[in-house]
Amino acid sequence: MELDELKNIWQKNPSGFVPKGEDELARMLKGSSRSIVDKLKRSVWFELLFTVVSGIVLLLYAFSLPNGALKWTSVSILILFVAYPVYYIKKLVLLHRFNPGDDHLKANLEKLIDNLSSYLNFYIRSYTLLYPVYFVLALIFLAMERGSEQFFDSLSNPKTVAYLIVLAGIFYAASKLFTTWYLKKLYGNHLEKLKTVLSELVSFDKPEELHLS
Amino acid sequence: MHTFDPLTKHHPAVIGDEQKFINLINDHQGLIHKICFMYEQDADARNDLFQEIVLQLWKSFPTFRGDAKITTWMYRIALNTAISGYRKQKRHIKTENLQDLHFNISENYSGDEKEEDFQRLRAAIMHLSEIERAMIMMALEEVPYEEIAETIGITQNNVRVRMNRIREKLRKMMSHEPWN
Repeated sequence: MELDELKNIWQKNPSGFVPKGEDELARMLKGSSRSIVDKLKRSVWFELLFTVVSGIVLLLYAFSLPNGALKWTSVSILILFVAYPVYYIKKLVLLHRFNPGDDHLKANLEKLIDNLSSYLNFYIRSYTLLYPVYFVLALIFLAMERGSEQFFDSLSNPKTVAYLIVLAGIFYAASKLFTTWYLKKLYGNHLEKLKTVLSELVSFDKPEELHLS
Repeated sequence: MHTFDPLTKHHPAVIGDEQKFINLINDHQGLIHKICFMYEQDADARNDLFQEIVLQLWKSFPTFRGDAKITTWMYRIALNTAISGYRKQKRHIKTENLQDLHFNISENYSGDEKEEDFQRLRAAIMHLSEIERAMIMMALEEVPYEEIAETIGITQNNVRVRMNRIREKLRKMMSHEPWN
C-alpha cells in the first residue's frame, strides 16, 4: 500500500469534527494546566511552602524549649531545612525556563527526563540519607540529655543495642518503602514512559542491521 | 507594529494578544483535533488533551519568534504535549485490540465504504507506537519530510526509513479483514 493511497483514505476523514467556538477557546485559556511541568511546578511550590512554614513553626517551638536534647534536635533539623529552599528555588527557575515550543520532541524528552530524574533523585537522597541522619542526631542528643556515661553504659547492654538496631531497621525500611511508593505514584510511571519513548527515538540512529535482529 | 500575516503563515514575535491567538487557533484547530484523535480514544480525554494543547500553545505564544512555519510550531507543541508533557487522567477505558476494533467497525458499519476504510486505517494507526503515530499523521497531512524531521528531532533519512516501515506495518494490519 503506497503512502498516496493512505493519504487518500485519510483525507476523506469522516470523523465528526465540531470546531470549537471562540468563547470556548477563550475559556480554555483560563483553565489550569495538567502538563507534567506544571504539575512539577505545583509540587515544588507546595514543598517549598511546606518547608518554610514547618521551619518557622519548628523555630518558634525550639525557642520555647529549655536547653536540652529536644531543643538541639529541633535546631539541627532547622539547619538541615535551610538546604531545601535553595534546591526548590533552583528547580523552579529551571522549570520556568522550560518551554515545549523551544525544541523538537527528542530534545524535549531529554529535558523532561533530566528534570524528573533529578527531582526524584533529590527525593531519594533526602529520604534515604537524611532520615538516618535524623535518627543518629536523635541518639546523639539523647546521649547529651542522659549524660554520655549513662548513655554508653546502656549501649553495653546487648538488649539495648538489639532494640536500637531493630528500631533503625524499621525506621529505614518504612521510609524506603514510603519513598518508593510515593515517587512511583508521583512521577515514576510517567518517567518510565518517557524513557521508553526516548529509547525508541535513539534506536533510529542505530545501524540498520541492529533493527532487523 | 507586528501583525500576523495569514498569507505567509508566519507569525512575528507578538506578546500575549489573546484575540490574535484565538484567531490563530480558530484557523488551525483541525490540526489540534487530529492530534487528539490520534492519541486519545475517549471523547472526554480528547477534550482534555485539546485544552492542554491550547494552553501550552498560549504559554509558548509570546516566545514564538516566527522563524519557523506556524504549523511546525503548532505540531511541535501539540505533539510534545500529547506524547511527553501530559499525564493522562486515569479513566476506566478498556484497551481494544485490533480484532475488537475491526469487530466494532463491522458492527457499526453504515455501508459507507470511505468511512470503513478510514476506520480501518485509524485502527491500524492506533497500534503503532506514539512516535510512529506522530510521523504517519504528519505524512498523511502532507507535511514535508524535512519538517517531520525537524519536529521529531531525527534526520530526514531516518524519517524516510521509518516511514517505509510504518507503511509496511499499516499494509499488513489493514490487509487483515476479519469481518469479511
